[in-house]
Amino acid sequence: MRVISSWTAGAARLGVFAAAVTLGLAACSGGTGAGSSSEKATKIKLVAAEYSKDHTKAFWDQFAKTYHDKTGYTLDVQIVSWDDIDQQSSTMVQNNNPPDILNLNAYASYAKDGLLYNADEVLSDSVKSDLLDTFVKSGTYDGKLYGMPDLSSARAMFYNKTLFKSAGIAAPPKTWAEFEDAASKIKALGGGAIGYGLPLGPEEAQGEFSIWTFNNGGDWKKDGAWTVNSPENIATLTFLKGLAGKGLTQNNPGKTNRQDVFDLFASGKVGMVVGFSPLAATLDEAKKVDYGVAPMPTSQAGSEPKTFGVTDYLMAFKKDGNREAVKAFYDLYYQKDQVNTFIKAEGFLPVTKSGVEAFRADPALSSLGTYLDTLPNAQLTPTDDPAWDRVKLAVQQNLGTAITGDPKTVLDKLQAQAEGK
Amino acid sequence: MSSARPMVSGAAATAAPDTAPPSDSKPRRRRARARRGREPLHVALLWLGPALALILGVVVWPVVELVRASLSRYSITGLRRGDAGLENFRQVLANDALDTVLVNTLVWVVAVVALTMLVSLGVAQFLNKDFRGRRLVRWAVIVPWAASLVITARLFTLIYSYYYGVLNALLLKIGLIDTPIDFLGSDAWVMPSMVAVGVFVSIPFTAYVLVAGLNAIPGDVYEAARLDGASPWQAWRLVTLPLLRPAIMVATVLNMIYVFNSFPIIYTLNESNPGFGHDTTITFMYKLAFKSAEKDVGQSAAAGLFNVCIILIAVLAYLRITRWRKES
Repeated sequence: MRVISSWTAGAARLGVFAAAVTLGLAACSGGTGAGSSSEKATKIKLVAAEYSKDHTKAFWDQFAKTYHDKTGYTLDVQIVSWDDIDQQSSTMVQNNNPPDILNLNAYASYAKDGLLYNADEVLSDSVKSDLLDTFVKSGTYDGKLYGMPDLSSARAMFYNKTLFKSAGIAAPPKTWAEFEDAASKIKALGGGAIGYGLPLGPEEAQGEFSIWTFNNGGDWKKDGAWTVNSPENIATLTFLKGLAGKGLTQNNPGKTNRQDVFDLFASGKVGMVVGFSPLAATLDEAKKVDYGVAPMPTSQAGSEPKTFGVTDYLMAFKKDGNREAVKAFYDLYYQKDQVNTFIKAEGFLPVTKSGVEAFRADPALSSLGTYLDTLPNAQLTPTDDPAWDRVKLAVQQNLGTAITGDPKTVLDKLQAQAEGK
Repeated sequence: MSSARPMVSGAAATAAPDTAPPSDSKPRRRRARARRGREPLHVALLWLGPALALILGVVVWPVVELVRASLSRYSITGLRRGDAGLENFRQVLANDALDTVLVNTLVWVVAVVALTMLVSLGVAQFLNKDFRGRRLVRWAVIVPWAASLVITARLFTLIYSYYYGVLNALLLKIGLIDTPIDFLGSDAWVMPSMVAVGVFVSIPFTAYVLVAGLNAIPGDVYEAARLDGASPWQAWRLVTLPLLRPAIMVATVLNMIYVFNSFPIIYTLNESNPGFGHDTTITFMYKLAFKSAEKDVGQSAAAGLFNVCIILIAVLAYLRITRWRKES
């Protein structure tokens, strides 16, 4: 007993000493880190999302070199996978050590927290006026542009021409009724054929639902008020649930992620799926499926098909002395030979007016015509509202439960969450 | 009696130099004794320093940070907005999914640990026998242990897949089922499927702890049992099992902690399921911070502290029930 107590006393004494040493070290390292605060930064850090293993790192490495050669600033590039980027960026902000530039699919919460530069501070006028209006709108929070778009995508209906032919479907469906009919015919082919690949799992449920409900006159927000449980949205979700109920989709659509559906489509089993240009690139490379791309069917005959657009952002964090370097970063990124090269390599769509023209003029990109036409009018999710950052997660984690549950109840709950109740 | 002894030996020690030749051996011996008794603090620190620094940096510091985070209010971006008091703990306890998550955790830990112990007892017996190719089998058993959990889990999502899975193909082929089973999507199947993977990756470690335990049992007790006419089953039940008890307990406690803290299997196999329906407290904690609508580092830290408490209580309860101290 005594032995133990004297041991603990000794250990406690050692502990206090060692703690003091550790704190001392921490203080030292903190000191060196904060030292250069008032000077101009010569080195900035970019944390970028990995769009593809082959192209993302290659582009940013090349970019960093050009940036250094042209401006003299050093760009430290860190590529992070989409699975980890939320966690990493959150940790960096928590530790008060954000990067100078962050590439993410959301920005409004960061703008709301006062962490970001706005376009007036870091974007040249020529660059700003070149950005497509849709994306300027989606990147604007509280009257100022904070979310600079890095690239974009637009969705469209991909259909398997071979299955369509076997099922005797002459043309891609234009209305929901035609769509359901086509899906039934493909299912009737048997042999494991699936009419429609419906991904309402947590990966990107908000995207799949958006494009369907946009073509039914629904939306997440209208005139500044949340409309998650609007009659149009409830009708859309009920329609999607009905597809699953009739067995026109793959098994368990509420628990299927987008990538799983893409894989199924690429294996030739699925008649239709909502895809985007990177899927086309995968299919073209595999050369297994003969596919076509068509506008989305609408709920009513004769209404204009809508496309769902997505853009990711390059946002700049306010840090002492980094403004000049950040501005130089944007100036270089939006040069035609940079931004368009990157977007082309990754298989996405441009974010600038000059980019749309360049893509249209490029014969190698003729297959993108459908998307380029619809891009300026693409409808986006309300990424300019910081509340959306939370609503989006709630939608991802709950929308799929409507397949086995009640669509109205699910959307009512999401509406309440959006309104902050 | 016991207090008298040191005095006797002390007297003998002081008496000894008188009989020894008069030299400078007396002070030297005293110095030696003092050194053996206790080193000066600074010398001890020199030796303990690296270990202490490591403990402080790797164990104590993160705990301090975790507690600090659990008491803070965070924005969705991760920006600290001030003190939260106990609000984060209250929020976690008020979460609608908490009951489901706790039941899942209990089922997960109990099922995986119990099944692992049961199967491993058999595997250990087998590995302990002398047979041709035993070395090969022993190596083979290590493989699931050596492979990264994420990779193993990813492999199992392919094996379990509804459309391309080997398992469904096999079951269909031998006519056990008519339609494929959605192992990772059907609510009834998700937990059993995850438990199976949990058991698969826990067996190697457990089996090896038990093999070590078996090796420590001397052969003569079996000889004695045989002479007394014990059947093999009796010998196993009455000799092997009681003597293996320390090994079983070590393996159970370590498995409880590993399995409770297991993240990759549940996170990967449960990836396409929305909500918290099949999460344990560990994946719940992660989703609170990064994936769910809460997206709140503070709540996640609070959940993390609850997790530490849960596993500590569970282990202490287990040790108490099995009367750990008496055995050791």
